[in-house]
Amino acid sequence: MVPLENYLVLSAVMFSLGVYGVLARRNAVLILMSVELMLNAVSLNFIAYAVYLDPERITGVVFAIFVITIAAAEVGLALAIIINVYRNRSTANVDEVATMRW
Amino acid sequence: MATEVLWWVFAVGLTAAAIGVVTARSVIHSAIMLILSLAGIGAMYVFLTVEFVALVQFLIYGGAVTVLVLLALMLTRMGAEGEIGDLTGSQGPFAAVVAAALAILLTVVAIDTAWPGDIDDAPANISIEKIGEVLFQDFGAVFILISAVLLVAFIGAIVIARQEDD
Amino acid sequence: MGAADAWILAAIPAAAFLFMAVAGRGLPRQGDYLGVLAIGASFVLFFFVLQDFLSGGSVPVVQDIPWTQIGDFELRMGIFVDQITIVMIAVVSFVALMVNVFSIGYMKGEARYYWYFAVLQIFAASMLMLVMADNLLLLYVAWELVGVSSFLLIGFFWEKRSATEAAKKAFITTRIGDVGLLIGILLLWDATGTFNIQEIIHAVEAGEIGDTRLFVTMAFVFLGAMGKSAQFPFHVWLPDAMEGPTPVSALIHAATMVVAGVYLVARLLPIFELAGGMMLIITIVGLTTALLSGFMAITQTDIKKVLAYSTIGQLGFMFVALGSGEVGAAMFHLMTHAFFKALLFLAAGSVILGTHHNQEMAKLGGLWRKMPITATTFAIGSLALAGAFPLAGFWSKDEILLATQGWSGGWVTILLGFAAVMTAFYTTRLFIRTFLGSPRDKEVYDHARETPLTMTIPLMLLAALAIVSGFVVFQGVGDALGFPGGFPEFVYELTPHKFEIDWGLAAGSTAIFVTGTSFGFWMYWRGRLDRSTAVAEWQPGLYRLIDRKFFIDELYQATIDRVLLGFSYVVSWFDRYVVNDTGVDGSAQMTGYAGYLLKFIQTGRVPNYAMGIALGVLVLAGIALAAGG
Repeated sequence: MVPLENYLVLSAVMFSLGVYGVLARRNAVLILMSVELMLNAVSLNFIAYAVYLDPERITGVVFAIFVITIAAAEVGLALAIIINVYRNRSTANVDEVATMRW
Repeated sequence: MATEVLWWVFAVGLTAAAIGVVTARSVIHSAIMLILSLAGIGAMYVFLTVEFVALVQFLIYGGAVTVLVLLALMLTRMGAEGEIGDLTGSQGPFAAVVAAALAILLTVVAIDTAWPGDIDDAPANISIEKIGEVLFQDFGAVFILISAVLLVAFIGAIVIARQEDD
Repeated sequence: MGAADAWILAAIPAAAFLFMAVAGRGLPRQGDYLGVLAIGASFVLFFFVLQDFLSGGSVPVVQDIPWTQIGDFELRMGIFVDQITIVMIAVVSFVALMVNVFSIGYMKGEARYYWYFAVLQIFAASMLMLVMADNLLLLYVAWELVGVSSFLLIGFFWEKRSATEAAKKAFITTRIGDVGLLIGILLLWDATGTFNIQEIIHAVEAGEIGDTRLFVTMAFVFLGAMGKSAQFPFHVWLPDAMEGPTPVSALIHAATMVVAGVYLVARLLPIFELAGGMMLIITIVGLTTALLSGFMAITQTDIKKVLAYSTIGQLGFMFVALGSGEVGAAMFHLMTHAFFKALLFLAAGSVILGTHHNQEMAKLGGLWRKMPITATTFAIGSLALAGAFPLAGFWSKDEILLATQGWSGGWVTILLGFAAVMTAFYTTRLFIRTFLGSPRDKEVYDHARETPLTMTIPLMLLAALAIVSGFVVFQGVGDALGFPGGFPEFVYELTPHKFEIDWGLAAGSTAIFVTGTSFGFWMYWRGRLDRSTAVAEWQPGLYRLIDRKFFIDELYQATIDRVLLGFSYVVSWFDRYVVNDTGVDGSAQMTGYAGYLLKFIQTGRVPNYAMGIALGVLVLAGIALAAGG
């Protein structure tokens, strides 16, 4: 069907887009979404490797399941923090939440 | 043959949705785009014959994560009126350069690497029994630890986000 | 008590010093009698040592103990007693005893009385150790100790600025010589592997050291002797050292410390003889010193300064004798000079005390009526110094002139004879202006009186010796006292020669004496200054040159000011601007500035930090790719 490289390139592109999002976006929730994008790209990568290269012990697949789990937990926590910050500073703009500076 | 074309359709769609996530002008638009890209990833999992993981993906990401995100957006009134000011931060252009470099680097590595020669172009068929076997036998301990992590996470979230009654 | 126990002679005064330095203040009479007892004990014990030495056939006695061992090298410390040592011990202990007794009267009522006697003891101990040392290290230690004692005593009246300056000058000038001595000692050790004097002499005689190297080494050693014995150009410290109490001048700067250089050269003479050219250098240095000091003494008006220049000159005489190879003559003159010079200084001290601290000849005159004992003893000392027959100085100077006849051309003898004429001249001048004629200052004259017995008895004893000590040169006298042969024979065992009176030379010496003295009389008789002032005005430039001591002091001071201090400025500039400002302060400030610049990285904005992470990953991946691929 589709060669392995296709999946790899696809995941690379998605990962880079996620990196761009993390670096360039101002809103905290948007940054979180970009992180989700990155995580998913990585999971895709792992599963592709597992299925194509290691069908006997599909370690990558199991790992991807774990990644999904952890990502869900992390999103919950991160959003809790963002809500807290928003309550104290009434802004979710990461550029403005910068008091630990020189 | 048809599968290939279908694959390409989904791949392009996925990429477009991802671009939409990171460049949309409104946070709600970004969130919608995120749902679409996550769904696209799920489709990719189906192509890779791990339907179980695709199911998990849809359920958790599509069902829980995006709901959480939208909830947070609503609670903090970020999506109601439009965002004031540009959503893209001050280091936008430089970030684009870095991301592009990263993409090129990874692509070059992926294509140039000499993969073991005898792999098919078609992925092997992974059965759900196999997944369950590996998950609970080889990675049983990790599984239990992950559940502990989940517990800690949701307690933590409650603690952080509760409002003090004055 | 045998000759091997001679170290006790040094130990007793040293112990006395320790005791008196700590407890002296509380003792009755501040412990002056303790000093006299200590040095007196050494003097008495000396006779036992002498007897044991002579009965052993005048063979050198060695006694040493192992001191330390470093690898293969073993250092032994000990004493070596031979004829030269015996003579030195006799001189040192006797003159020290006389000075101690004299000081009881002279220093009466002075502040720090106990400390004065304590330092006198440590000086005597160090000097005795110096002449007994069997290895160069021990000798050097004693050499330094003697220098320190001299420093302490010159600067005894440290309330006076001039005294502290003089003490500093003495120490620094001799230090320059001492460095030379140390270098010489180290060079000798490097060449022969030992510090022991006798071993070094044997090694050199066996030809173990090359000619040039030996010459350089001995030149350094002679530098040390020049410094300590105030030879030109290191003579500048001795006249200034007269700031110290007069008994100190008598002991240290006339009879004992300054002869340490003579002793050193005498002890190492076998090596000097083998170092080509050194003998000539020694002779020339001695000759130059004798002539220069003779000139400088003629214009001095302070009685102690005249005696100081006289000492410098007489030391020059001794070095001429050594340079001519005659250790016997040099040691003989050392002994007689010690006696009559100490006598002259102590008598001068008597004058000073008797006239209530007046040293300038301009204020003295006609004192023989008021201070007869002092005047008589001073006269005896002066005659001995001038070389009058049959006093001691005649015999010893004669021996030296005899020794100089070895030099071809006789120029040494002639020049030395001229120096002797000058000696006679200025001695006469000194005596006449101080004691004869009419008093120059009525006030001073009226208050003058003779000094107490504690001071006059040493004078009389020393005067007696000044008269008779010359006779030991005769074989008969020597035999009677127990030495085989006459004095020169006794001292220099290698080439003893029987003393014969060279009548021609004796006549010459007497002629010298007569010339100098009568010239002096003619110039100054009846206290007339008109003849001498006429001479001074006839050649004012020459007079000024001599009067200002040939401007040597000014030359040294200018050198220090320009050269030394100039160099110090350069070094201090370097230290301040390069080392401190650039190195120390500079590196600290650079660090601070770097920190100041780097702090701007902490913007506090998370996207910036994320960018940092991304960049880091990119760079590392790039490197890994480049390195691996």
